[in-house]
Amino acid sequence: MTLLISARAVSKRFRQPRRFPGFLGALKSLVTAEYTEVEAVRDVSFDIAEGEAVGYLGPNGAGKSTMIKMMTGILVPSAGELSVLGRTPHQHRMANARDIGVVFGQRSQLWWDLPVRDSFDLHRRIYDIPAARYADNLAQFSELLDLTSFLDRAVRQLSLGQRMRAEMVMALLHDPKVLFLDEPTIGLDVVAKDAVRKFLAKINRERGVTIILTTHDLQDIESICPRLIMVDQAKLIFDGALKDLRASMGTRRRLTLEFATDPGRLELETARLSSDEGLLKHYQIEREDVSLVDVLAEVGRDRALKDIVLEEPNIEEVIRTFYQGRNAAAVSA
Amino acid sequence: MSAYFAFAKSAVMTQLAYRNEVWANMFGKVVQVFARVAIWLAIYAGATSIDGISLQQMITYALLGGIVTGAIRYETIISMIGRALQTGDVAVWLLKPVSFPLYIITSELGRAAYRLVVLVIPTVAAVALVYGMLPPASLFYGAMFLAYLALAYAIIALISTLFGLVSFWLLTSFSLEWLMQALLNLLSGQFIPFWFFPKTFGDIAAHLPFAWIVYYPAAVWLGRMEQTETLIYFGIGCGWALLLGLGVAWLWRRASTRVIVQGG
Repeated sequence: MTLLISARAVSKRFRQPRRFPGFLGALKSLVTAEYTEVEAVRDVSFDIAEGEAVGYLGPNGAGKSTMIKMMTGILVPSAGELSVLGRTPHQHRMANARDIGVVFGQRSQLWWDLPVRDSFDLHRRIYDIPAARYADNLAQFSELLDLTSFLDRAVRQLSLGQRMRAEMVMALLHDPKVLFLDEPTIGLDVVAKDAVRKFLAKINRERGVTIILTTHDLQDIESICPRLIMVDQAKLIFDGALKDLRASMGTRRRLTLEFATDPGRLELETARLSSDEGLLKHYQIEREDVSLVDVLAEVGRDRALKDIVLEEPNIEEVIRTFYQGRNAAAVSA
Repeated sequence: MSAYFAFAKSAVMTQLAYRNEVWANMFGKVVQVFARVAIWLAIYAGATSIDGISLQQMITYALLGGIVTGAIRYETIISMIGRALQTGDVAVWLLKPVSFPLYIITSELGRAAYRLVVLVIPTVAAVALVYGMLPPASLFYGAMFLAYLALAYAIIALISTLFGLVSFWLLTSFSLEWLMQALLNLLSGQFIPFWFFPKTFGDIAAHLPFAWIVYYPAAVWLGRMEQTETLIYFGIGCGWALLLGLGVAWLWRRASTRVIVQGG
């Protein structure tokens, strides 16, 4: 697979003017300026290959948007090297712009006063999209995201969910190789979130568009992105598949066995008994290589087993464990 | 190129969506033009000519004066740029393979063309019916007037864009709108033609780019300049437009670098 994006020790520091409190402070800031340095991204490295879908996850202020802005060429890294489609984004901003699509959850790119269709048409002219290609894409995307009912309505009259769907279609009309989304599902209701996620997953799978999205909604990652990059306090703290995160966290799968008659305290080799309610027994499977079949084989056929429930740890839990573990490590260090 | 034409066109379409505004503006415009003519009627107070300028010429000058400044809105250009810089929406424009200043200019020119046709020409024609208006001094002057008019739109759009971009460093665009208004009133010849200025001041004003917005187009229509002079000053005006264009390009470069280095 070809490499699309590579970040090598990328950092971004901002110089922020210091504000002085109170009225005298306001007067003071008229004549003097003091700055504080804020590091939004520190020493972040990763590679992204063509066709990947990567979730960029982290709490507020972890430097997610800053990274997206650097990759799209509207912010210059303070240090390190960044290459997108073989170019340094901020040096080839215009050329880069034609090959990428960008959606900001909190900033509209549509023309407020114009019907959605007219915004799309302006987009077509800006990107010189061939007429046939444009008609084709518009028809396909409109159907997928159900835009047809509001294509002729002015953008200012749309609901947030409708607007986000329109933003997403517009960002894809010029067949970008990479689609960057900065918190695309922010503020959407459950139905709209679901529509957006299904659409993105489909675009990634069927058109091979590489997707990089920032979010703090873990569900976004679970349904769109097989790969996860986690940042916290400007630093990269995890890069890998979601299932590897589970494994590396040592989070355990939970198993519940229900019996018709109580077999007594049943200790197993493959799973550790964590609580015993008689007919209901709860276990934790600590080893990754243990499968349900192994557990069943050990329990055996003659124990009047009625039902079994195996729960994968959910992602929220995994990540909570992750951050807690890190904080604990930081305290003890 | 087709993108910029589309910006102008969509600006016109947006104007069409607010049709009531047109009638309100039309009324305001008629009052303004009448007021300007009435001032000159009062100043002349029965005299047929002051400093060799006849009342009829003066009325014509007053009517022509509104053609550019009545159609284009410098304050829209300045505040649109100011707002984009302040809200950070300018970042969105940095993501598109088109130039942001040219987008602002072409969409305002689209609106100006619309206002020219539905607002300015009808009001000027209506007032001209009441007070009379002189035709162009000759076919040459008539043709040159059109060329000067096009140049006038380019120059006012470029100056406004320059002012708008300065707002990026001042963090306010409002004061710049006032400054622009003051400079325009004084230096474009909109209220008082340079003929009535003190000699030195008039000479200076006549060579600043603002002069090409109102003074020169009207002076050409009236045939107040020699033919060769008319051509030479057109060249100088084009030089100013070029210089202003370079200024806009340079300031925009600096502004966008500042955005991408400091994050706006």
